Amino acid sequence: MRTKATAIGAALAALAVLCAMFATSASAAPAWKFEAKSLEGSEVILGGALDSSLTIPGLTTKCENFLYKLSIKNEAGTGKGEVTEVPLYNCTTNSEVCAVSKIGAEKLPWPSKLTTVSTSPYIIIEGVKVGIIYSGEECAVDGILVAVTGTAGGLINNTTEIATFDKSSFAATGTALKALSSTIEWNGVFPTEAFQWHREQALSVS
Amino acid sequence: MAQRTGAERLLASPAKGTSAGAALALVLAALLLGGCGGSSAEPGESSSTTSPAAAAQGQAALAEAEPGAQAQGGSQAQGGATNQSPAAPGAGEAPQSAGKHGPRVPQPKGAPEQAPTPAQIANATVADISLTSPSLPPGAGGPAPLPPTYTCDGDGKWPALAWSGVPAGTSELILYAMNIAPVEGQLYVDWAVAGIDPALTGIEAGKLPKGAVVGTNGAGKRGYEICPEGAETYLFALYALPRPLSPEPGFDARELRRRILELSGNVGLYAASYERG
Repeated sequence: MRTKATAIGAALAALAVLCAMFATSASAAPAWKFEAKSLEGSEVILGGALDSSLTIPGLTTKCENFLYKLSIKNEAGTGKGEVTEVPLYNCTTNSEVCAVSKIGAEKLPWPSKLTTVSTSPYIIIEGVKVGIIYSGEECAVDGILVAVTGTAGGLINNTTEIATFDKSSFAATGTALKALSSTIEWNGVFPTEAFQWHREQALSVS
Repeated sequence: MAQRTGAERLLASPAKGTSAGAALALVLAALLLGGCGGSSAEPGESSSTTSPAAAAQGQAALAEAEPGAQAQGGSQAQGGATNQSPAAPGAGEAPQSAGKHGPRVPQPKGAPEQAPTPAQIANATVADISLTSPSLPPGAGGPAPLPPTYTCDGDGKWPALAWSGVPAGTSELILYAMNIAPVEGQLYVDWAVAGIDPALTGIEAGKLPKGAVVGTNGAGKRGYEICPEGAETYLFALYALPRPLSPEPGFDARELRRRILELSGNVGLYAASYERG
């Protein structure tokens, strides 16, 4: 009887190890889901932020609307994607004498992938490049082209379907955007929804 | 014969202890089918949602199939388990749609901004020179704090500056220190030094390199002066010119800057801040 109990205990311990391995691998590679079902094929999602801001040391650039169009798919159970369009609207600076003359995403598409950090899902967008030309005769950066480059990591909240890019999401994912050799701050809260096959469906990653 | 461990016995001799083996097999099957509670299967996700038939019908079919499976609980349950973010600024302000789970992407107003064209990039002064100061501590993501010694509260000397990435063929380097915020609506220049040898990769604190020419700053002085009334952020700029401007000593710093920008050269920028106590 005692031997039988030992055998059961050992087997359950082995199962627990197996289960832990499965659980770890599942959380390490989140997939795109609609209505809790893994995405099959591809989809286009749209994210749009109100009041997204980007601070180059000393000068903050704000855009009233900051959209991104992301083509997504699951590869071997892991969510991947490509940012294909990043239109920006009504961008201004916090300086009364500096205007944003030109601003736009460059070198699209930007590859993206999902990852998990401490049980929370994140989207990582690589190869980010945004070019900005400022103007204003009395502006210290008049006529200067500044390029913002790097990798951006945003926290995905499955309940609200919102991706949040801020200081803590960059720190959690070990990502950074740089301009003028310095790390810059970028804050954006992006409600996100499907644009193609899964319109109106709940979007989540896990 | 050495006595086997419990695990070995379970694997090697299923005939003995049949009841225990069968029970464990059932447990194993149940756990694996159930995903051990940690697989990608979601709460509320039935086995039919991943049926081969549904998969074969493709994306359009997937979008329309099994309306019953589109329970609100899908993403909500996940969020509760693992995805509670700290209160994101503005998250609560996301526009909501009555007929949909999640938020609607806000509709932008007006036309999108235009990216710089190749011609505009060619005419711009490109900020691709790395400029920094070994005299200043790191700014932790923001402007570097300027120690008092580099202001009117101290020795009033300029900090050491170091740079890299000056393009080949540069004829002249010119350094500026400017207030980022305008003074009475105008650009305020705190310091301007022209005639710097393009071969140099930096200047020492308070020492001008050979051949350097100092312009007239916003205070009407030929020199460097950082002396804010309160808090101020300054921009150090190193302009690399494709052809020389070679201004005379005491040059008008604001006027020279206009001529610099017309040359469409390159620039390095470095921000520093100071607050008088």
